[in-house]
Amino acid sequence: MAKCDLSIILDDPQAAHAGGGKVSGVVRVQVDADVACKGLEVKSLWRTHGRGNVATDTAGTLTLFEGQWQAGETQEYRFELPIAHWPPSFQGYYLSVDHYVDARAKIPWAFDPKASEPFQVVASCGPEETQATEQSAQMKGIAGCFVSMFVLAALVGFGLTLTAFGVFALLLLIIPLLGGVWWFFRKFLPKYLLGDVRVDFSESYVSPGATASGQLVIRPRKNVSINEIDLHFHARERCVSGSGSNRTTHRHTFVDTHESIHAATTLTAGKEHRFPLNVSIPEDAAYSLNLSDNEVIWSTTLRVDIPRWPDWVKEIPLLVLPSGENAGSNEAKASPADVLSAVSASPQSFDATDTGGMEGANQITFKETAHHVWSVREDRSQVEELAEAISGLSFDLEAEIERRLLYAGEDDPHVFKDGYAVWAHYLDPPLPLVLYVPHELADEFEQIGRDVWRGSGTIVGWDALHGRLQIKLESPS
Amino acid sequence: MQANPPSEPHWLPWAPSNLRRNPFGELSAAERAELAVVDVDPIIEHVSKPKHAIQLIGDCGRGKTTRMLALQDRLPRSSYVYLAEDEPCPAIPMGDPVLIDEAQRLPRAVRRSVWRSELPLILATHRDLQHELQKFGYRVWTVQIGVGNTPRLICQLLNRRIEASRLHAGPVPLLSLKTAELLASRFGTDIRAIEHHLYEQLQKQVNEHGQVRSLDNIG
Repeated sequence: MAKCDLSIILDDPQAAHAGGGKVSGVVRVQVDADVACKGLEVKSLWRTHGRGNVATDTAGTLTLFEGQWQAGETQEYRFELPIAHWPPSFQGYYLSVDHYVDARAKIPWAFDPKASEPFQVVASCGPEETQATEQSAQMKGIAGCFVSMFVLAALVGFGLTLTAFGVFALLLLIIPLLGGVWWFFRKFLPKYLLGDVRVDFSESYVSPGATASGQLVIRPRKNVSINEIDLHFHARERCVSGSGSNRTTHRHTFVDTHESIHAATTLTAGKEHRFPLNVSIPEDAAYSLNLSDNEVIWSTTLRVDIPRWPDWVKEIPLLVLPSGENAGSNEAKASPADVLSAVSASPQSFDATDTGGMEGANQITFKETAHHVWSVREDRSQVEELAEAISGLSFDLEAEIERRLLYAGEDDPHVFKDGYAVWAHYLDPPLPLVLYVPHELADEFEQIGRDVWRGSGTIVGWDALHGRLQIKLESPS
Repeated sequence: MQANPPSEPHWLPWAPSNLRRNPFGELSAAERAELAVVDVDPIIEHVSKPKHAIQLIGDCGRGKTTRMLALQDRLPRSSYVYLAEDEPCPAIPMGDPVLIDEAQRLPRAVRRSVWRSELPLILATHRDLQHELQKFGYRVWTVQIGVGNTPRLICQLLNRRIEASRLHAGPVPLLSLKTAELLASRFGTDIRAIEHHLYEQLQKQVNEHGQVRSLDNIG
């Protein structure tokens, strides 16, 4: 039985709080028996609910009290916590996003009493968010090019290998053949008649209540009769649960409209035909969300219906984002460029003994580096870019050892011959690390157990699977 | 001092049912461990010595991973690894014991190095690994997961999930044993399938009627 009960009373529980703002209130503690509290912690966070794997992030944490509570007393502790800029509260079918104030009293040798109070958050961030998303889309485009080149090279290699299999090669050709047939009918034939078809939207994002305007431009190679140009506007939730063989995708469409852009007509060869596109976003539209395995996706699918010929079809994603009118200041997050600029002004190696302070003008310490990595650790592309930028840098550092690895990962090239790897974390912030221990340091690590180790090492990368900065340790000279 | 009764959050569609969310959605690993209705004491007792292994065998959705997470929660010196299909084998930290979920996916070389460690092991697996472990000197105890998923247990664990989604003090809609029996007759011991079914049913009720109307005859 709990020795104390916690409850959270928000100052304005019915308010729609602005993202990036503050939420305040009190944590009330009612104590049944004398109890030592190792920390009354309160935090502001968001969390997804529904059919997708849970995504969550904490916007701010405070420790309100540490000490002894006496039986029969009731205490109240005021708090004011930051609210995450993004995402706003959202209630869908397979996906919900809620913001909470969570409180927890750490009680030794007992279950920790907890309380949680939801509050509503409305979006306040503006175009910055859009640009970040756009950059991500551009990166995807570049990645797509690389993938295409890789697939092409693989196909060529595959074709050459097939020559060794004789008639059995026909069996192995079935899948590429089916892919080729699909491409021929869905892509090549429509394009053969219509030539290059362009779809341009004037804005890269659109806000609820606004209209996304653009145009469809067709310059056919020969005269083409079409039945119709049709625009299918849809919004859906897409959530993924489980992983590996248990991975399941759940989809729920909540907007689904069809609009005829143009009736039957004949498109003249060589002439540019322009068809205006206007997509009205409902006033109460949910914003586009991409929270790991939980997404809200808006898109339009354009279809040119060609009689007795495969239709030309293209899906164009739309970003529905806040207008930015209520934009607050963005949380200070280090971009890789920030860190790179600090790094470029610093020597390749640092040999200061105080790992917590600045070793000298224009030098970046491990503490600062750890802070930068910590601030972007949830964004895989940013943290990998940053880790690449700081790879090769050597630091004096200290780390609290967690445990040795039985197996360090598939063919991990960083493991020393006769050495091993340990999991550890930096102290503040508690950035998770993988330390590659050379044979000469093995005894020292055996002695340390789970204490703090101090020494020097070189950053060699980022372990994306476990979210850990990889560091190769240096043997004492 | 009396706490003021909290007002109902108007933006939460689940609030009229005194819930904060659909109780049958996905949970985080920590929540799954916390809400598990499993007796892990016999497993903990058996696996406290080196060269002792326990394998939990059962079909999907019967509660293997939930047990593993509950064990990890109870054993602070343990390590837990989940091996996803078609992905590289992740790092395996030493632990006392080492918990490996989907252990049948361990690559042969990694498997041998884990067995050679002689550390106590708890393996959730679809394939019987007993003979292989015995060759490395392990004493193995096999636990079939799912056979104990009776309507009573199903009722208990589903109601626990509802309780964990409670918004404030006061009544919440709960499942009766009769409904659990109906669900068990339809889905057998597959807890995951039951949870998916209930998610859809409750979501429809809230969307159509503004609140959870009844959990009776939902099976």
